Amino acid sequence: MNFIPIPLIIWLIEDLLYLIIFPGLVTILVLVIIIIWLERKIAAKVQMRFGPLWVSKKIGGALQSLADLLRYSFQEAIIPEKADKLAFILAPGLMFAFATIALIFIPVGPYYSALFPSYYTILFSVALIIITPIFAIIVGWASDNKFSFIGALREGFLLISYEVPFLLSVVSMIVIFRTYNYISAVQSQLNFLPGIILNPLAALTMLIVMIRTTGRFPFDITEADSELVLGLFTEYSALFFGVGMATPYVELYNFSLIFSLLFLGGWWPLNVNVMNPLYGLFLPGLVVVIKAFIVMAILVFLRAVYPRYRLDQAVRSGWSYVLLLSVLSVILSIVEVKFLR
Amino acid sequence: MNEVRKPRDPVTGHIKALAKGFKYLLEPNRMTLDYPAETMKLPPNYRGFFTVDDKKCIGCSMCEMVCPPEAITMVPRIIGEGGKTLPAPEGEKETKGPKRTKRPVVNWGKCIFCYFCVDVCPVDAFIPTQVHDVAFEKDKDYRPSYEEYLKPPEEPYKNAKKVVSKADLKRGVSYEPAP
Repeated sequence: MNFIPIPLIIWLIEDLLYLIIFPGLVTILVLVIIIIWLERKIAAKVQMRFGPLWVSKKIGGALQSLADLLRYSFQEAIIPEKADKLAFILAPGLMFAFATIALIFIPVGPYYSALFPSYYTILFSVALIIITPIFAIIVGWASDNKFSFIGALREGFLLISYEVPFLLSVVSMIVIFRTYNYISAVQSQLNFLPGIILNPLAALTMLIVMIRTTGRFPFDITEADSELVLGLFTEYSALFFGVGMATPYVELYNFSLIFSLLFLGGWWPLNVNVMNPLYGLFLPGLVVVIKAFIVMAILVFLRAVYPRYRLDQAVRSGWSYVLLLSVLSVILSIVEVKFLR
Repeated sequence: MNEVRKPRDPVTGHIKALAKGFKYLLEPNRMTLDYPAETMKLPPNYRGFFTVDDKKCIGCSMCEMVCPPEAITMVPRIIGEGGKTLPAPEGEKETKGPKRTKRPVVNWGKCIFCYFCVDVCPVDAFIPTQVHDVAFEKDKDYRPSYEEYLKPPEEPYKNAKKVVSKADLKRGVSYEPAP
């Protein structure tokens, strides 16, 4: 018994806890169910409707998304005859997997993360998040449906136009904090000011890119249900469709975690220095997740206000305003680093 | 003279739109009816399901002739004892003799609720009701037999709160409990 390395076991347990329970899969499932309900309810309130109500009337229809999930689980899965079957079956799962895996590199506390605290967590998480839309294109191609294919082409156009601003906004925060690591970035925010005050331009760019990547409303172009039937997921049914519908919300969750770590000061009101299991591990994570949830709720609120951009409008603003904003944010960061410190 | 519309400033336009949405979120201003819980009190001449009075009907087939979607068919009946009609013998479609007659049956899948039949009836034999919100479970339920047709569908949600709609200059539509 002497040669079982106890720190390794503790590390494994912590990893499993991280990936499966707290900021991991269970939390994602609960938050996605809540955020879908909240999205429908907010849009209904602003548009003078009731929204989901009759599934559980006493708590305002909050169990509606759970009921939808159950329905998707027991529905018949139809695979079209002419579809590329392997890609058709695998692509939504891989899309969901890659959206979830990015969480490995996003720490929610100074002592609580899934892997050994790597020095390059910002780069790794951003790289993994960028992979997800590629599977969206595979989904559109595999379905053998013109609506899915048009959706995939639109996704490709938008992916190219909004990737550069996203990377530049992250780069500008890396320049300010002088680190590739989320924990050091949050620590330098705790010592000075939160990132959204240091570089509001980067925060704005990041918000716009978050809306675009997760398909929230002004950029609901790939899924435009009045033009393309349901865009990418026209041919999907059952749990495949459920997974595909949940993926943007998982991406939204990851993006919001990154946003709250880079711009909102992470676990800001708490300055954690002790290695206490409750205070050191879970409380900062709770603060980060609550901040991320508020960001998600604000982005979901946009559905009630905005109509949909046309594809050419979205691509044009991506290459003009948003790119300009991100370049300005990098310049702002360089100026701040030169003169403030 | 057409006024030239100024191009909207992108920044203030977005902020104004978001502020307006947020205001609507805080002051919910619902215009929809919470349907199964509250239902509209309908006007007295509302055109719902209707049935026929077996004793008043004279079997003249005017309703069948006037029906635009041809939803009404006349079924052969025999006038029996006690003033009730009885089903005609099997295979007999033509009506002969003084005791033979016809009665209307409506196919609810075809009916457009125009009430031409009710208007054209020379003896006012049709009994209109205000029931309009019925879901049929089977395809066969659309096409009742004459005996089933004599009992039209009952009103669902009988315990629902009755409301009347009111035009409101500020909100658009508002609902008040029915008097």
